[in-house]
Amino acid sequence: MSYPIRRLLVFPLVMFGVSVFVFVAIRLVPGDAITAMLGTESGLLTPVQREALTVYFGLDQSWAVQFWRWLTGVMQGDLGISTTFGKPVLSVILQHFPLTLELAVLSMLVALAIGLPAGIYAATRQDSFADLAIRVVAMIGQSTPGFVVGLLLIFVLSVGFGILPQMGTFVPFSEDPLRNLGQMILPALTLGTAFAAAVIRISRSAMLDILREDYVRTARSKGMPRGRVVWRHALPNALIPVVTLSGVEFGYLLGGAVLIEQIFALPGLGRVVLDAILQRDYALVQGSVLFIAFNFMVVNLLVDLAYAALDPRIRFESK
Amino acid sequence: MPTQHLTHASGLNRNDPFAERCCATLFGLALVAAFTLAAVLAEFGLTPYDPLGQDRIARLQAPSVAHLFGTDLFGRDVLSRLMLGISQSFTVSFLAVGAASLVGTVLGLASAWFGGFWDGAIMRLMDVLLAFPAILLALLIIAIVGPSGLTSILAIAIVYTPIFTRVVRGPALSLKQREFVDAARTFGSSRRYIMTQHLALNLVAPLTVQITLALAWALVTEAGLSFLGLGTQPPYASLGLMLADARNLMELAPWLLWIPAIGLMFAVLGFNLLGDALRDILDPKTRRALA
Amino acid sequence: MQKITFMNPLVSVGFALMLGTSMLAAPAAADTIKMAWSQDATGLDPHKQTAFSSIRFLELMYEPLVRLDTEAEIVPAVASAWSFNDAATELTITINPNAKFHNGAAVTAADVKASYERILNEETSAASRANFTSITSIETPDDGTVIFKLSEPNVPILTAMASINSAILPASAIKAGTVGTEVVGSGPFVFGSWNPNSSSSLKANPDWAGGNVAIDGLEINVLPDETAILAALRTKQIDFALINDPFVATLIPDVKGVQLIKKPVLSYHVLQLNPSRGALQKLGVRQAISCAVDRQDILDTALLGEGSVTGPLTMDAYKSDVSELFCYERDVEKAKSLLAKAGYPDGFSAKIMAASGEPPTAAAEAQVLQSQLAEVGIKLEIEIKELNVYIDAWLAADFDMAVALNGGRPDPFTMYNRYWTKAGNLQKVSNYIDDTLDSLMIQGREETDPAKRKVIFAKFDKHLAEMSPWVWLYTGFTYAAVQDSVQGFEATPTGSLFGLSAVTVSK
Repeated sequence: MSYPIRRLLVFPLVMFGVSVFVFVAIRLVPGDAITAMLGTESGLLTPVQREALTVYFGLDQSWAVQFWRWLTGVMQGDLGISTTFGKPVLSVILQHFPLTLELAVLSMLVALAIGLPAGIYAATRQDSFADLAIRVVAMIGQSTPGFVVGLLLIFVLSVGFGILPQMGTFVPFSEDPLRNLGQMILPALTLGTAFAAAVIRISRSAMLDILREDYVRTARSKGMPRGRVVWRHALPNALIPVVTLSGVEFGYLLGGAVLIEQIFALPGLGRVVLDAILQRDYALVQGSVLFIAFNFMVVNLLVDLAYAALDPRIRFESK
Repeated sequence: MPTQHLTHASGLNRNDPFAERCCATLFGLALVAAFTLAAVLAEFGLTPYDPLGQDRIARLQAPSVAHLFGTDLFGRDVLSRLMLGISQSFTVSFLAVGAASLVGTVLGLASAWFGGFWDGAIMRLMDVLLAFPAILLALLIIAIVGPSGLTSILAIAIVYTPIFTRVVRGPALSLKQREFVDAARTFGSSRRYIMTQHLALNLVAPLTVQITLALAWALVTEAGLSFLGLGTQPPYASLGLMLADARNLMELAPWLLWIPAIGLMFAVLGFNLLGDALRDILDPKTRRALA
Repeated sequence: MQKITFMNPLVSVGFALMLGTSMLAAPAAADTIKMAWSQDATGLDPHKQTAFSSIRFLELMYEPLVRLDTEAEIVPAVASAWSFNDAATELTITINPNAKFHNGAAVTAADVKASYERILNEETSAASRANFTSITSIETPDDGTVIFKLSEPNVPILTAMASINSAILPASAIKAGTVGTEVVGSGPFVFGSWNPNSSSSLKANPDWAGGNVAIDGLEINVLPDETAILAALRTKQIDFALINDPFVATLIPDVKGVQLIKKPVLSYHVLQLNPSRGALQKLGVRQAISCAVDRQDILDTALLGEGSVTGPLTMDAYKSDVSELFCYERDVEKAKSLLAKAGYPDGFSAKIMAASGEPPTAAAEAQVLQSQLAEVGIKLEIEIKELNVYIDAWLAADFDMAVALNGGRPDPFTMYNRYWTKAGNLQKVSNYIDDTLDSLMIQGREETDPAKRKVIFAKFDKHLAEMSPWVWLYTGFTYAAVQDSVQGFEATPTGSLFGLSAVTVSK
């Protein structure tokens, strides 16, 4: 059986595993939707009142029944109703996903725009001062957690320069592209810089490897200009690991960047899940985690396929 | 953190001139040594001040000769708290990575050795864990068990176990098929002997590298969890908790933000540099399979 | 072509930053106030939402029969007049004839009756039901009059009616079951949209019976991080903000063009002891803790001094001079001798729980308490719990000590009858009651003469502080940060935003 087909067969199995895992996990969390909604005032409820709420939140059924209902619902594309939003879970997810997607795309762009040129430049100028400087910066960038970068950015910009990104009501790109970009630029930079460091390191070392390959040396010795060698021969091959790396990172970013969304007040998928956990919105936690896991696996599958397509040397069977 | 897994997985630096590699390695070693020393000193109570001792009259003092890194809201010495925080963060990271590498190695070996159903079962389980965003998985685990240093260890260990399982399974699988294992088998060695002597020995190199790098990620994850209030609990200190506490004070007392931020950065940098160096030394040809 | 040039990465970062900052600070729409708070409402049903963040949001759209003004006096809302009979067992309400719901229908006695029946119906799960169980029947002699018949004299019921948890809803919405998904109130603002934890928008209600709203509407943003709110105020992205964090509030006066409006609140920070647990069962031990605690010191550390030390009663009309309360001056020697007499000369160990981030000062308070009590030999272990877990433990009284920020009410009876009466719903949490407390509370409920009530509750305050089932610490402030262009906002001790109905904007 070929590798992609095997992966596809495993797909539903893993999704089922994720469903069971998240279903059980969220119910093991102490406290329920009633305490989350009423706080200490829930102590004033009479038993009848509590019973009524239990039925309302669907907590009166056994786990098995709840799971079966949920699973059959999912099969029909119904992820349930979010108790905090009072809307179908799917529509809540689809409302917040565009932001997460946009943030993922923008941070990838930032990372590639900074990382690729810097990495390739460093490789072509190996051991020069510029190379060293780029690598030091990359190493430091890679060692600084994203949320620390975000905190420092906000601190320096708002305290030092008195400027700040638009943090107000989030405006979708389709409504007002300029305002939207104004809101997204800092979080995208924050997520992008850490990842740019990774892109620098990987593109530089891939480029160096290739520049040392025989065919490149041959081309050079035949008098082909250095620039052309780099652009025509080396670059396409050096891009392979970058594509893989970016793909997998993209898969992670689609899950929402919880800490960054929290710091920059962005209503993305990460914050939805975090709030849903805190408010014990079971259906929303289940639905969104499943959605995130699904995206992650699809992206990874695509990355693997792309990797195989780009690099004929790869034989999945050999692993 | 995802970014870091990946780069380290494939970011080879075989091209560094020896002298410079040496320099970076030394720097990494020096950082790790310095932080470890600080952690050990704090563990034995050898900090300039009592890191938990409050002197509330002297709250929020800027760095000075008496308090090199200033004081916090409770008048506690920030340098002493930084040392305690490093010790706490290191303890959590070391124990979590220790547990993850141990469990991951056992699972990876079992998966490769038994193959078939067990291989499938174990690896699918790992797929399930990997399909969760790391921080959400940790959040859920902590929500269930309740926040504490111990829970962070558990959560981080669970998050990183699948990575070790994969790191071990790949090489173990190819080693299993190699001749010397077959040879050893024909010479009548016990299964267990083969496992331990050959497979394990050949896995030491990639594992060592992976462990060093995992320590860097674990530090970041611990900091993230503590930052959200889900890791180390007050009055104790960890780098993430110090950052979280500094957040609404950053204008009144910016040093409370900068010091743990730089501390965290250098600690992670140290392990990253060391990990790179170890990879070059131990395993110059490894191309980690894209599992 | 020998040299390949690439865009310098630093230059590209610079471009991106310029791009970012050039798009900052779009001017606010004419007379719509842009505001921010860090905690959003958690739902739209006014009878069910007890979180303060929900109440202050719903208060802009729904109205109760009466409301409290900035001095906590009862003033008209849906009701234009009210009166008790002499025995305080019958309450007659006259409805404002101009009161209209947002759908255009007039507010009638039938709506009031339906609303209170909904609250009293156990199926509704309205937490405020406990305040109204003495209502035996609701009569509606005509469209403009409602008579509540009470089973016992109950003066404080009127303050309970001033809560948004007893809002008047259209009988039609109750019947249709749309309360909680649609907002049809009679208040100064009309519901526009609500994206939980993100944003909401409200429009001014031109037909509001309470007066003319001078602004066009409100656009509310949720910025979970208050330092971000501060930054947004600096850059004039928002006109109005609610601030919770006293650290952030102390920085507001330095922001040019922004005014900080603060008002002492009714809610109180308290160290709850559990008198059913171990050493805490002994009066001497609890009193020792009260003496060992330096309230001002905690206030100075955890809130940077933003507040004032308080006894059990926090409302202006009833609060005592704290110097007259038991051991409000720290006395370590007295604490030690009390401990020794109670049989704990070397102190003891206990756990203290606090909710993570709720209030933001909880962890700091627990740490200062830990340090202060250590001086008399009481060793505390701090447990920070996620809010829901904390609440469950709190309701089950599964704690030795707890740091809490409890809500206050303008009337002492409605504020404390749940804890300090024999029939109190939360007796299981407070775990302490004596005959003195119980009888003082009942006297206070029945007494109609304000002067006599004051005497009764002063005794109550003093006795409660002396019995030390809890150690009351201090009250903080409610903060609103307002750009100079917005005028006329008045804060209330309940932290209500109702004052927004009276603001004007000059640009």
